[in-house]
Amino acid sequence: MIPAADSRAADDKIISIHDLKFIYPGGVQALSGVSLDIRRGEYVAIVGGNGSGKTTLAKNIMGLLRPTSGTVLVNGTAVAGQRIASIAHIVGYAFQNPDHQLFCSTVWEEVRFGPQNLGYPADDMDARVEHALRSMDLMSVKARPPFSLTLSERRRVSIASVIAMDPEVLIFDEPTTGLDMRESEALMASIARLNSEGKTVILITHDMKLVAKHAKRVVVMSEGKVILDSDPAGVFSDLEVLLASKLMPPPVVRLAYRLSTRGVPRDVLSPEELVLRIMMARGDFR
Amino acid sequence: MTGFVDLYTEGDTVLHRMDPRVKIFAVLMLTLLILMISSLVHLLILLAFIALLVALGRAPFSKVSLALRFVLRVMIMIVILWPIFDPSGTPVLATLGPVRITEPGVMRGITNAVRICCLATVWYVLMFTTPQRDLVRALVKLGVRFDFGLTLSIALRFLPTFSATVESIKDAQRARGMEFDKGSPLRRSRNYISVLIPTIISALRTADTLSLALQSRAYGARRHRTYLRELKMRASDGVALAVVVAAFVMPAVAKFFLKVPV
Repeated sequence: MIPAADSRAADDKIISIHDLKFIYPGGVQALSGVSLDIRRGEYVAIVGGNGSGKTTLAKNIMGLLRPTSGTVLVNGTAVAGQRIASIAHIVGYAFQNPDHQLFCSTVWEEVRFGPQNLGYPADDMDARVEHALRSMDLMSVKARPPFSLTLSERRRVSIASVIAMDPEVLIFDEPTTGLDMRESEALMASIARLNSEGKTVILITHDMKLVAKHAKRVVVMSEGKVILDSDPAGVFSDLEVLLASKLMPPPVVRLAYRLSTRGVPRDVLSPEELVLRIMMARGDFR
Repeated sequence: MTGFVDLYTEGDTVLHRMDPRVKIFAVLMLTLLILMISSLVHLLILLAFIALLVALGRAPFSKVSLALRFVLRVMIMIVILWPIFDPSGTPVLATLGPVRITEPGVMRGITNAVRICCLATVWYVLMFTTPQRDLVRALVKLGVRFDFGLTLSIALRFLPTFSATVESIKDAQRARGMEFDKGSPLRRSRNYISVLIPTIISALRTADTLSLALQSRAYGARRHRTYLRELKMRASDGVALAVVVAAFVMPAVAKFFLKVPV
């Protein structure tokens, strides 16, 4: 029994990256030695300033870029020898700009495109597409041309088209760019639901409010390296590292910092928590 | 990130400083000269001269080799194919079934390969040493309408941008399991619809935004434009012009009036 449990623990790593280096053909070194393990069902935010290597890392996981050196294992198999189409069974990648993938004449066909490419059986195709559309709240626009939709809807179509392929890992590259607050909250709630259903979520962003609210683990990147890998509270308490990576903690964390001289602890992540901590500091519960 | 390379390299050589109108004229003259000359030896002398121009323009080795790799491929094709399709003359060097290889055929193949090399390199010299905006500026000064000039320079400016967009679109479709090189030739060309449509739509959106941006900066408000940078011919440009004209006229006179083979 014990060896079985051990092998399960090893299997638990859905993505395993070891000393990954990547240099673009032009000579720019985008990744200089990244090592990272991501376990099944995790919700990981990858944060960092522009040009820190976030997207290059994600493209290496997807197999769109091939390591200059080092290894990327997806589900225990090296990405290096695999076709992108076979990696797509396990990893789904929602690109930053939905307009870079939409081309079909209806939303329904658009979402069908991925599973069709992967050769999923035709008999459950409709159920698959419908499930993806429902999870992104798109059933009402399923017959419309994708290009006639709003940016928020187009982004959700592009995410649904990835969900329909039913990958275990979902990579979201800046999913809330250009969305207003309500749209972005609705989208983040859908992503959280996918995570609670068992999907491994990798969120690439520089929106620290999203990170504070949703991520259970934060990987901070700077100049092609992982400089911090911790839970959100741990990351936000390390102000020096954050500033070095051109990031700013969310407003509520910054407020907690200012109040720390008055006895409020620094590891606060939400306004509700801050209110509670202030009340505790004032002795309201005594 | 991949694909498109601007051949121009910043520099301050004689060729960089030359008036772009003179450069365009010189390249046209040299093109005529290359097409006129039929002697291999003379073409090789001309090639040496053009190589000198490349050195004078201080084009970096990486770009020269990139440009030459392409030319070299064409040259090899010509040297191989020319004798096969041009079997005239004697002596016959080899006969392979219906194919006859003759010595003049081989010579003509080599001559034309060198000619292609001369032609390509002379235009590369222009590209290596002249920024696109200067080329467009020269065309406008030579009488091309400014609108066309602007359209041309916008088109050139957006080539690398679109090349990047196409790569990004291909990545997005690959991530959705699309394999572009799979299936029959028909299937393969149909695969590219998934790239073509987003590319066209992205181009239209860009054009729309760009035209608004131009209008908001009062493009076309006045009929007569003034220019921040005026082109001026200098003494050195005159010298260059004289050299090029002489280099063309002398062999032309020799060939067509004195009937000397060149």
